[in-house]
This record gives sequence, C-alpha cells and structure tokens, in this order.
Amino acid sequence: MMKTNKSQTALQNYLDGLLQEAEIEQFNEPKPVMLEEKPLAPVLLPTFTTPKIVVEQQVETKIDIEMQPELQPVVDEKPAWSQQPFECLLFDVAGLTLAVPLICLGSIYQLSEDDITPIFAQPEWFVGIMSTPAGNLKVLDTARWVMPERYNPELRKDFSFVISIDGHEWGLAVNQVRNSILLRPDEVKWRLKRGQRAWLAGTVIEHMCALLDVEALAKLITDKDKRVTVDKSL
Amino acid sequence: MKNSSAQSSDDPVLQWVTFRLDDETYGINVMQVQEVLRYSEIAPVPGAPSYVLGIINLRGNVVTVIDTRQRFGLPSAEITDNTRIVIIEADKQVVGILVDSVAEVVYLRESEIETAPNVGNDEAAKFIQGVCNKNGELLILVELEKMMSEQEWAELDGF
Repeated sequence: MMKTNKSQTALQNYLDGLLQEAEIEQFNEPKPVMLEEKPLAPVLLPTFTTPKIVVEQQVETKIDIEMQPELQPVVDEKPAWSQQPFECLLFDVAGLTLAVPLICLGSIYQLSEDDITPIFAQPEWFVGIMSTPAGNLKVLDTARWVMPERYNPELRKDFSFVISIDGHEWGLAVNQVRNSILLRPDEVKWRLKRGQRAWLAGTVIEHMCALLDVEALAKLITDKDKRVTVDKSL
Repeated sequence: MKNSSAQSSDDPVLQWVTFRLDDETYGINVMQVQEVLRYSEIAPVPGAPSYVLGIINLRGNVVTVIDTRQRFGLPSAEITDNTRIVIIEADKQVVGILVDSVAEVVYLRESEIETAPNVGNDEAAKFIQGVCNKNGELLILVELEKMMSEQEWAELDGF
C-alpha cells in the first residue's frame, strides 16, 4: 500500500508539473479574438474554466541540461501503433508507472547480482552490458532518462528487470514489472509536438501512468551512439 | 551474428591476455604483452602526470608504470598479492600497466567481438575496442594505443 501511494504521489507530482506549465503557457497566450468581439468589456485575463486543456501540445518542461542525456529532436506525430487499441505493459521506475506498447517490446529479463557489466567512461545513464541468450544488451538507466530532475543514484540498486526494445540492442532497467492493459487511443492524452521528452508519447490519467514512445527513445539513443562514433573516428 | 566457421583469413583468431580491474575483466592483445611481473616497488617520479605511478627497474631498463585504474576512471585500490604489472609495448614504447590481477589467455575469433557502446563522451571511452562474451562473462577489450593521446605517449618517452 505504501508503495502504491508513493507511486501515485510521484506520478501525480509529475503530471501536476506538466499541467501547471501548460496552464502557464495558456495564460500567456490570450486569444485576440475575444478582445475584438467584446471591445467594451474589461480586459480579462483568460481563465482556466475550459474543461479540457490540451496539455500535450504545449508542454515543455525544464530539465537540467547536465542531467539530460540527450538534446532531443522534435517528434511531431503520434506513433504508428496509436491508431487503434493497443496492449501495454505497465512497469515501475523510481515510483513512476510507465506503460510501453507490447508491440515495441522484445523480452523481459530478471536481474540478479552481477548480471550487468559496467563499462568505464560511459555516461551515467548507461548502466552497462547484459549478456542474454539473444546477445548483449546495452542497458539504460530508465529512471535517469525519464525523471532526471528527481533522480537518485540509490534507485539503481532496486533494478529488478531489464526490458529489451524490439529491434534494438538496448534494454530498459526497471524496478518492477506489473500487468498488461488494453488502452484505447482516446484514453491517452497524446503529446503531438514533442521537443523535450520526445520519448513521452502521452499520459494515461485513468491508469496514472506515462506512455513511452519506445521507438522515439531508441532513436534518441542510437542517434547519440552514431554521433559519438563519428566523433571518435575524427 | 557470430560466425561459427573454422579459422580463416576472413575471421582470424586473436589471443588476448585478460586481467581484472575493479571486479571486471579486460583483455589486451597478446602480441602487445611482453611479460607479466609481480608487484614490485614503484619509484615515484617528481612532476610526473597523475596517471604515471612511477618507474621500475626491469633488468637494467627503466620502465614507466601507468595507473590503469586512474586511466579508466576507476577508484584506486590496495595492492594485494594478486597485483601485477603487465609490461606492454604500445605506440613503440614499453610501459607497465598496473592491474588487480592477471587471469588467462583467451582465444577470440574476430567475429565474436562486438562493438562497444559508443555513448560515452569521456576521453577514456575511446580505448574500448569492443566486448565479447567468454566463459559466461563479458570481456572488455582495450586498445592500448588509445589509452593515451600522442602527446601523453610522447611525455612518457621522457621518463
């Protein structure tokens, strides 16, 4: 029960942050049409009575550049799998519940001690290499990617599983794997313009979770991989 | 991915001397290893760079010993009975590298060697040549020439 509360609090804080910034942006962008239609009315600042706020299109959260693993390109569309209901796996990372479409996942590996070999001189979000029957997996510290601003190195001790990304040699280190759920596209608050956090496809309030766009995440990592390879060859 | 065919010119077998540092296993090309010495006192050199532990006398020749842990960005450790100085030749110089222990010589087909992650911007990431699974553990293969820059190799020449 304690864990659930902690998880919900973390997600709530996370989502609150996104909502708050979206509201501020909306506050700063009054619609000029309102002023033209009612010239005699006192100039009112826009209120927040609109029942639905399109959060995803306006959210740009501030992330500590030092902690941020990647300068992220803008992702400007919904993922291909978002057009119809899709099954997602839920898992926990640092108290936050994340959802990943099953179609994007490879395998789930349970972690035991010494399963991951750290490699020196790598960024802190790179946990190490894990040998699996399918080959070596490069393991990503998911918590550091998802919540760099509230990252705690102690969280790394609690990794229990690595989830491999289908078609890539990367895996996500996670604390706990939960159940799978079926999501309808209209249950997700999609982010359509994604600059920062391009890997965040949207949020699912009903399940209190963030939905990962694994392809976007994998692309961020592999792009970085390629860039560093070029740098090293110079 | 892995080529199971017999040794051929397309897939040569290379020998690697493996050593341990901070509970991980590393490999260096056997052709670059001249000998492995038990730890003996290393005489510090005033004004030497931080990655130089000092010098040893190897049968009348002065050999500079490099602090491998420091070079790899690893914490320093106590000298133990297993500590070894591996005498290597790299960049036309003979130097010693201090390691926690020396394990064995392994044979690896070139096709067995996988590229290392290339996400590290750290200078030290440059000298990871690749990784390979052997005997149930992951070997990290090190390219000794890249362990130091040309300038650093030139500096070593002065000791």
